[in-house]
Amino acid sequence: MKLEQLLSQRGLVLQSPSAEEIRTRASKTSPIKLFYGETYDAYGNTIDSMKYYFFVADLAKSLKQEGFEVEPTILVADTAACRNVSSQLEYKYMTLGKERAKFVEEVNEVYGTELKVLRMSEYIDSPEFQEELQKVIDTCTGNPELMVKVEKSVPESKIEIERKKGFMYSFDEITTIIGLDVKIGPPREDLYDNIAREIAADRGEKGLMSLFLTPTLPLGMNWAYFFSNEGIENHGITAYKAGSKRLQDHRVLVGRMDSDYVKEQINQSFISENPNLPNPVLDVGIISEIARKRIGGEDTPVDLAERFYNGEIKPLELKKIVGDLVHEYVLSRF
Amino acid sequence: MNMYFQDFKMTENNKPDLEKIAKEQHAIKLAQKEKESNYYPEKLEEFGLKTINRFVDFHPDPSKYMKLGITFGHKGMEPVAEAMANNEPWAVVSGLNPSGPLHMGHKAVFDELLWMQKNGADVFIPITNDESYVVGKTSSLAESRRIAIEQVIPSIIAMGFKAEKTKIFIDSDYMDIYNVAMDLSPHLTLNKAFGVFGFDKSEQGENPGTMFYRSGVQLAQILLPQYEEFGGPKPTLIPVGIDQHPYIQLSREVARKKGFIPPAELDLKFMWGLDGKGKMSASREESAIFLTDSPEVAKKKLKKSYTGGNPVADYQRQHGGIPEICPIYTLRTYHFESDNNVGESCSSGEILCGNCKNEAVEQTLDYLSDHQAKLPEARKRINEYILTTPIRSIFK
Repeated sequence: MKLEQLLSQRGLVLQSPSAEEIRTRASKTSPIKLFYGETYDAYGNTIDSMKYYFFVADLAKSLKQEGFEVEPTILVADTAACRNVSSQLEYKYMTLGKERAKFVEEVNEVYGTELKVLRMSEYIDSPEFQEELQKVIDTCTGNPELMVKVEKSVPESKIEIERKKGFMYSFDEITTIIGLDVKIGPPREDLYDNIAREIAADRGEKGLMSLFLTPTLPLGMNWAYFFSNEGIENHGITAYKAGSKRLQDHRVLVGRMDSDYVKEQINQSFISENPNLPNPVLDVGIISEIARKRIGGEDTPVDLAERFYNGEIKPLELKKIVGDLVHEYVLSRF
Repeated sequence: MNMYFQDFKMTENNKPDLEKIAKEQHAIKLAQKEKESNYYPEKLEEFGLKTINRFVDFHPDPSKYMKLGITFGHKGMEPVAEAMANNEPWAVVSGLNPSGPLHMGHKAVFDELLWMQKNGADVFIPITNDESYVVGKTSSLAESRRIAIEQVIPSIIAMGFKAEKTKIFIDSDYMDIYNVAMDLSPHLTLNKAFGVFGFDKSEQGENPGTMFYRSGVQLAQILLPQYEEFGGPKPTLIPVGIDQHPYIQLSREVARKKGFIPPAELDLKFMWGLDGKGKMSASREESAIFLTDSPEVAKKKLKKSYTGGNPVADYQRQHGGIPEICPIYTLRTYHFESDNNVGESCSSGEILCGNCKNEAVEQTLDYLSDHQAKLPEARKRINEYILTTPIRSIFK
């Protein structure tokens, strides 16, 4: 698939650097580092994480086809996931981190994604990382404007805890991403990305490019849920944490949920033909359609959103299509 | 020569300067439109209310009034939406002052209530004859009660409300409402009540009755569905004119203290009176089409109505009318049209006021004839709608 086609897939890419900007970076940096990082919780692996895995893999493939050398990495931020859990749960969460890394390997096997998996615990204690971390901390703490941005990168509910911990979660994140080329993530991560870019610019280094995919939305929720949760269409729920906003029963949990349950959730879901409104069914459909194409060896853009919004597919039909796709090409494969 | 033109300056050859007249009139009406278009958004901001747009976006079949922006704002509608979507109980309360028969302005509110009933609401309609009397709109409690029974309630029933989901009560007949008012009173201070309602001792018409009605009985009407006799606490929606926001705000505070769900507010734009002097009101008879008006009377009022048009037809054809301030446009759009076609035809100059009024007459007379034909049957069914449930839970 051509880079332009990949980046303009409706319903999948929210905001992206231009194909030319990515090519320019790839021509100057070899290998070009493509990156997606995530934490996790105890509820399992979401189909929404797969959206990012697939996209990183497709971006890598597209650039490789143009002759660029590429390093696509999925980071499982196990150390970060343990930062806010009690010491008794730390072992459990580190184990969950291994399981998440194993899940990425499984995705590699089933869908041929060829992603490199890295756990944060594998590098966080290295002298190189610690040295870089100290530089980031020094830069931020020495610049009150940057520190304000660091504070803003933390959700309000966690600000007090993070303040006590010296904002280590944010500093680890910024240090991790500062030397990257293209970082794929949900829109909320712009806060970290901007700080990393600012520090890089100060140092006269290349700044990372942010590429945001569409927000993740819960299944099985009716119109009133979306009406009441103002702004959800912009920020969604956390893609990689199944228990985000306690909505674990309204996610597609790969390897844990059976297809009938997921199909029922899809049937109960709010759906609208208005492209400005959130569409959780379409979101799962797009991920499942990418899965189908990968398994079938089709290297073409996903046009499900286009077909739905131009009226070719009706809402009830879409629910049926998505239910069948997610069963056949995702749930039954794990 | 039309009397209207006599006020205008004549040109040299002793003919009215039509272009000047047209321009002046257009400018006056544009200014009126400007004022009107700013009024509601400013109020939304002042009171911290939300627009109805998000509800319209997400509800599978929002009401016509919501889609047209006639119902334009809300506060705290989220629990109502959840109940609506999950087929859980919820209620709507809309009171009415029976100082005369219902008019088309009332019908607009009742149309919205009908939509709510179709969406699962239990509809509570307090007929506030006690208020009519204490504020001096009727000569006696008996007089306002008579109007309620003979004219108001049959008209409401004739609009198509389902008896099993409609609870109408005349305040002076439903004494439990006064017990509920007493039950709520300790949750409100006089200081607060004075702050919201004013109660200027020197003001004519203020008396102990108005004070008890506004700060006690009105609250009781709003919070009545939340008593256990009606399956409460439950989400409740109160459609109001935006000037009533402070009362709803007060009832939300009292609801919290009482352990009820704060009632939600839904704001409706008022309907222009035919005289162009403000909202359609029974106190200015020529401003309103009453549901009991004869065809002759209704036709006469409509023909005489103020409009958003221009006295010079050619000018209006070229520049269009100003439907936003036109009572005829409002009447037709609120009640007889499914979209904004009238408004578009008016602003484009495609339709002039004479023709528009003719169409309005036809539509209004058809409606009145149909409505009035239903009244005899509606009168026979009054008892099916009257609320008699005693409120015993307050004595526990």
